Amino acid sequence: MSTVDVWLANHCPNLFPDQYQIISPKTSDYNCIAWAAEEDDRWWDPTDPYGYWLDEVPRELTLAAFIKLYQMLGYESCDSAKLEPGWQRVAIYTRNNGDPDDAQPTHVARQLPNGRWTSKIGELEDIEHELNGLRGFYYGKVTQILKRPINT
Amino acid sequence: MQFISVEKKRGEPKKLKFDKLAKQWYTEVGGSSFVAEKINHPAYQQIIEMGPAVVPFLLRELEQKPTHWFHALQTITGVNPIKPEQRGRVKHITQAWLQWGKNNGYKW
Repeated sequence: MSTVDVWLANHCPNLFPDQYQIISPKTSDYNCIAWAAEEDDRWWDPTDPYGYWLDEVPRELTLAAFIKLYQMLGYESCDSAKLEPGWQRVAIYTRNNGDPDDAQPTHVARQLPNGRWTSKIGELEDIEHELNGLRGFYYGKVTQILKRPINT
Repeated sequence: MQFISVEKKRGEPKKLKFDKLAKQWYTEVGGSSFVAEKINHPAYQQIIEMGPAVVPFLLRELEQKPTHWFHALQTITGVNPIKPEQRGRVKHITQAWLQWGKNNGYKW
């Protein structure tokens, strides 16, 4: 069992071992926010003074800031997580910490061409999974989907 | 020789405590993408409270497995050797801290 298997077993009760595949070694070089933006050599984090963040986006852990971040990367908000030829999607998970108006981002996943999703689990491994697999007490639920045209 | 061995023995409980806390911290927040959550973890805060004695342990950890010990090092030492252009580059930040450690006579 790898570190990410143990971590997922403890934090994602809706994700069973046969529902995801590990697709990278573990590393702290990047996190889920970077990986969703297709970058694998920087830790993107508004809560980290040492972390990378776009200058144009408020350095805060809010859904609005995360939406703006991906808008700056060419994404636009949409309603459906369904695979759509020619478009790439990212999904922002949020969790309410007791205040329904204060949903804090917990995770970002990126859709793969096969319709499944790829996630970097903190500083552990990347996995491929179904979108709802990460739903639960830790990551909360998907509250925002964004899409952008795939460059050909 | 006797002095070294006594000093080593004195350091062992701290080292054991550090290793236990570091392992607990990594196990419990390794899957988090947010440094605020990592540094607010009780085990991380206990490591900071252990003070300057843990600096060599932190540098050794960084060398073996680069991760987010930078805040603990900065809080304990009051130093920030990181350049703005290194933000997000965990390997570069790690190297900057290891170089700082060498320059300041730390051995780990």
